[in-house]
Amino acid sequence: MDEKTRNDLLKLFQGKLNQAMRFYLETCTRCGVCTEACHVYASMPQVRYIAAYRAEIVRRIYKKYFKGQGKAWPSVGESKELSEMALQELYDAAYSCTGCRRCMVYCPFGIDTQMVMSIAKLLLIGAHTEPEILTMLADTSIEKGRSLDLFKEGFLAGIKNLEAEVVKRWRLEAGETAIPVDVEGANLLYVALAGAHSIIPAAAVFNAARENWTLSFFEAVNFGAFVGDPAKTKLILERIVNEAKRLKVKEVCICECGTAYRVMKHLAGKQPFTVSSVTEVHARYLKEGRIKLDKTKFSGPITYHHPCQIARNGGVIEEPLYILRHLTNDFRDMSPEPKYNWCCGGGGGLVALGEDTLDFRMKSSTVKVDQVKKTGAKILATACENCHTQLSNLNERYQMGVEVKFLTSMVADALVR
Amino acid sequence: MVYLAYGVFLIGTVARLVKIFREPKNPNTLQIYPERRPRWLWALHDTFLLPTVRRHKPLLWVFLMSFHVAFLLLILGHLELLAEFKVFQVIPHEVFLGRGFVGLILSLCLLFFLFRRFKSPVRELSVPEDYYLLILLFLTVIFGSEMDWARRWYGYGELTASDYRAYLSSIFLLKPAVPETMMFAGHSFMMVLHVFFANLFIIFFPFSNLMHSILSLPMNKLRRG
Repeated sequence: MDEKTRNDLLKLFQGKLNQAMRFYLETCTRCGVCTEACHVYASMPQVRYIAAYRAEIVRRIYKKYFKGQGKAWPSVGESKELSEMALQELYDAAYSCTGCRRCMVYCPFGIDTQMVMSIAKLLLIGAHTEPEILTMLADTSIEKGRSLDLFKEGFLAGIKNLEAEVVKRWRLEAGETAIPVDVEGANLLYVALAGAHSIIPAAAVFNAARENWTLSFFEAVNFGAFVGDPAKTKLILERIVNEAKRLKVKEVCICECGTAYRVMKHLAGKQPFTVSSVTEVHARYLKEGRIKLDKTKFSGPITYHHPCQIARNGGVIEEPLYILRHLTNDFRDMSPEPKYNWCCGGGGGLVALGEDTLDFRMKSSTVKVDQVKKTGAKILATACENCHTQLSNLNERYQMGVEVKFLTSMVADALVR
Repeated sequence: MVYLAYGVFLIGTVARLVKIFREPKNPNTLQIYPERRPRWLWALHDTFLLPTVRRHKPLLWVFLMSFHVAFLLLILGHLELLAEFKVFQVIPHEVFLGRGFVGLILSLCLLFFLFRRFKSPVRELSVPEDYYLLILLFLTVIFGSEMDWARRWYGYGELTASDYRAYLSSIFLLKPAVPETMMFAGHSFMMVLHVFFANLFIIFFPFSNLMHSILSLPMNKLRRG
């Protein structure tokens, strides 16, 4: 690696050094308490999958360039030069971590490995060695935000085609629009994913609850966050923030996408609207009596996978359980403490990388398979697109014998007129 | 050397803390849910009672708690060697407190911490710094404790607590003087080694992961939100 590239990368590293990051990089005592925390290590017990080991790969570079110890006595902390080989190690560490932050629950200091891995991801972007597909997807999202008018018509035509499906699930009064778009003054802006499965059931539930809502032009998923590019993450997020402000909505409701929800909830800053997940909104409708659900709609035991970014990292824990109590009398808890729930193994952009990561995702999530099987459930519900894809892949590979369903779809299917 | 060590310790620690705390705060929360309030109280609980270690590594937790409590008593014991503090005599005791068991517990804990690093996977996680610190602290403790044990358990009466107090006070008052009794006592080499290793340990403090003793609380607060 030439000097200029290294200096440029170190500037990127420096840019990530805020107070919390310094805490995390200064403090680890390598006690090993986090060893069993990672689902990858629990499924494939190799030292490189221990959270402290991953973080140490970044920390060794930090010691070398940002700490006196690394300069005066490099061998004592095994500080390491930023080289091509180091970049390879950073890649392996960052893209075998799903950012579930389960290790943070174990660590006596609360070191956030996902945050430490964000340095690794940023360095990979700087060296142009990040997974290209994620950057391309992020760029596409940004471009969509910049030239909304170019695709507006096509989007509206596509939405029109979905309306009949929505009406099939919940009949509307004459003159009402099944999927309202671009409605100024609506109470709620729903930000879906690209795909009918993310729009139709949610629309049916909003209509059943007589919500004054509107659909966002943009997809919720933030590929900038997956690839670890803070600038792109912000640009993708701002598209939705600006749309919400333009439409003067009171609430932005994020579809079943963990990363999208956490990015919107925690990175949007103080805004004139609140941010909710669709699960929270559905639970609220139930509490307010705005929708009713048929408990006999689904037969057999049901379990629920708490998506890490929505539950452990987003705080939406009770709401899905409340909804499920209205859907079944036979709910099987997967993890008595949701903060200890195993990650599905698909986060951090791994599912978005598709077939390239499939083998790793399958091998690294056998603890999840065991956890699901132990419940004896027939339906496995979840509230995150990534989790749904990963759990479906696991179901197929390991014959878990469950039907993987989105919670929103279940709510829409069980609506009582 | 004592003054140099304390100088490096104080200036180094303050400089590192200033550097860290002057960095901008993280723009978003780093909290883990479910949330429990009051957050600061739970952060204190996490910092001082190490509940996650108790749950996942109970044996390590026993040693960690014993070590940290004994270390605190050790600091109090040294303060009592500096001057008489009535407040510490709430439970009347002879200086040095702990009847020799504080040092014994510390030594055993340090051996446990050291030997668990020889075993996988902690061995692969460890860097030389981790071993050096443990060995350094063990040597400091063992030579310090040996003086205490000799007085307490073997009736070695050449050196008394007042001799140590005279020495420590002289350092504190910037008029360092080693009492004659201490200079010619059979255990003087232990004193020299104890002070030497303690100096190395505190010199190392600001540049090592020992900073966790200060940063653990703000980090746990971040986790609690």
